[in-house]
Amino acid sequence: MLQLIFNTDFFFSILRITAPILFATLGAVVGEKAGVSNIGLEGTMMVSALFGSLTTYWSGSWAVGLVVALFCGVLVSLLMGFFAFNLKTDIILTGIAVNMIGSGGTLFLVKVITQQTEGKALASTTSLITAAHQIPSWNIPLIKDIPILGPILSGHCILTYVAFLLVFLTWVLLYRTPLGLNIRSVGENPNAASSVGVSVLKIKYIAIGFSGLMAGFGGAFMSMYYSMGWSLDMVAGRGFIALAAQAMGAGEPVGSMLSALVFGFAQAFSIKVSSKGIDSNLVTPIPYLVTILGLVAFALVLRHRVKKQHSASALEKTAK
Amino acid sequence: MNEKKAMQAARRRSLTFTLVRGAAAIGIALLVAAVLIFVSADGDRLAHTGEALRQLLIGPLFRSNGSINVKNICDVLAAMIPTIFTGLATCVMFSANQFNLGAEGGIMLGAFVSALFAVYVPLPAGVLPVVAVLAAAAAVSVMMLIPAVLKAKLGVSEMVNSLMLNYVVMYLIKYLLNTHLADKTKGQIQSYPFQEQARIAPLIDNGSMLTWGFVIALIFVVLTSLFMYRTRWGYGIRMIGINQDFARYSGMNVAAIVILSQVLGGALAGIGGGVEMLGRYSAYSWNALPGYGWTGITVAILAGNNPAFVPLAAFFMAYLNKGCLLMSTYCGVPSQLIDILQAVIFVFFAAKQFLAKYRQRLVVKGAQEELAAQKAAAAEAAAETAEGSVK
Repeated sequence: MLQLIFNTDFFFSILRITAPILFATLGAVVGEKAGVSNIGLEGTMMVSALFGSLTTYWSGSWAVGLVVALFCGVLVSLLMGFFAFNLKTDIILTGIAVNMIGSGGTLFLVKVITQQTEGKALASTTSLITAAHQIPSWNIPLIKDIPILGPILSGHCILTYVAFLLVFLTWVLLYRTPLGLNIRSVGENPNAASSVGVSVLKIKYIAIGFSGLMAGFGGAFMSMYYSMGWSLDMVAGRGFIALAAQAMGAGEPVGSMLSALVFGFAQAFSIKVSSKGIDSNLVTPIPYLVTILGLVAFALVLRHRVKKQHSASALEKTAK
Repeated sequence: MNEKKAMQAARRRSLTFTLVRGAAAIGIALLVAAVLIFVSADGDRLAHTGEALRQLLIGPLFRSNGSINVKNICDVLAAMIPTIFTGLATCVMFSANQFNLGAEGGIMLGAFVSALFAVYVPLPAGVLPVVAVLAAAAAVSVMMLIPAVLKAKLGVSEMVNSLMLNYVVMYLIKYLLNTHLADKTKGQIQSYPFQEQARIAPLIDNGSMLTWGFVIALIFVVLTSLFMYRTRWGYGIRMIGINQDFARYSGMNVAAIVILSQVLGGALAGIGGGVEMLGRYSAYSWNALPGYGWTGITVAILAGNNPAFVPLAAFFMAYLNKGCLLMSTYCGVPSQLIDILQAVIFVFFAAKQFLAKYRQRLVVKGAQEELAAQKAAAAEAAAETAEGSVK
């Protein structure tokens, strides 16, 4: 049983499943660093997934579809930013509104655009996207010939590699560029940042735009590679899981990547187990449960660490 | 005397502003709707858009021949039942600044638990529905304890946890229903039929599903209002929502109130699920989250987190929803337009700076009037004293 589950296929699927979560997680990381809680990642991914798959169908080119998906992601986020920063709508509520559009609004658009009427309750674009439209995969030369490691690491969708590359790039952005310093300072203390001449509004727009870009990548991955076409609720909480991954990774790119991998593992595991004949309704919630447990574990560790620091500093004081 | 007048004027100004702002938000949403319908229509676009908007706006009230459509109105009132409860639940939780989004899973769990009682527990008429609904309330309260306690004790985001719980609850209910509880004689997956004495009786017998549940919902509106504005616990909930640090420094047990608000929200959502299930259905068949939780959030925002306004907001949303359904039936506009409308109204309603310039003008105008009145009064008084001194 264990051998049936833990084979190279399984580890390959972990990376594949983690990729969209990782994109959204990076979006959450940068947003949160600037003090912007983007809970609209879920809805943004849905919108990007829809328009990405539609333009891929119209243009016949996945590259055009990807660009449109990214554009939609950024556009939706900037719109969110406009309401949250300029009109002072609570950012959480703005996110909920985006998620409403992501679930029902996208279905409306699909029905209107593809002229599928109410009769077919499950309108989707799955019939439009064929394997020819799919974002291509890449067999890495040399690595693909290594036993065990080759079949796990090679042959992924190019966006999967982009996702993991972006972890590094996000780290560079946050810790090695002036923009990153500004983003972090705005998140840490907007008043201080503003007092030294940083435009808090501009930085927040950049941060939420970046998270929209990431959601665009995630949405494109979902509808143009992972499940070939848009269908209702296809993102299935990945945007929310990303928020949890961000929290568990303490808001750092690498840590958040590791927690995204944990969720990828949980999801790959539940898919694998359900293919072995166990009721899928019993194993599908595993990633969501793992999310809750992960958050609790993280909070406990954090608390323990804080306590230790407290007692250490108290000891120091008494020693003096 | 003068101060009282000024207070009244200020209150009137803020009411005017709220009304104008609400009307503007709804107007913008309808404009968006009109554009979307216009773009999606084929043939004579203008006529089509006009007809669709007519269905959306007055379709729920009148038949095409102009007579009042009682059945449709009853449908709208019946549709308010679950969203009143989720709206109340959200009001209580959001008032305490707890962004718990678990009303969605909560109402599903409540419906499921009450359905189990309705199918399997042999109790006499009158007792069974009450017990079933109370059990639903208890079950959802326990569910909400998870995000609530984790938030209060460990500071874990109640928002993410409640969202995750929604999925967990949904899949577990689906699992139980599919494997152990399904009535295998039926074509679709559903539970065995409820016992007859478990059902909540209809208020009007016209097939509209307007049950006594509506009255129960209104009673809970009153109870929740009283709780929030007339008890110390309600005061505590509102206080930690306004300023948690202040509440802590003034000696409130913040952790207990954080938990209380979410457990109470859970209980309300659970009751809503039970009342809706036992009123509308004769067997349990929900296999996906029903969406009432999200509508409940919109309702709470529209009501400004004040339970007293929840029925009004719920009526508005139910009316709009019915209009969208009619529009999709008669004009072929997909009914999911409601989600876009809802989102647009939602963000504008919650926008603090929306029409801020207008408010500014109102305030300035009011202040000027007040000053002018004071000046006039002073002049009058001066004239009077002058007159007095002449005498």
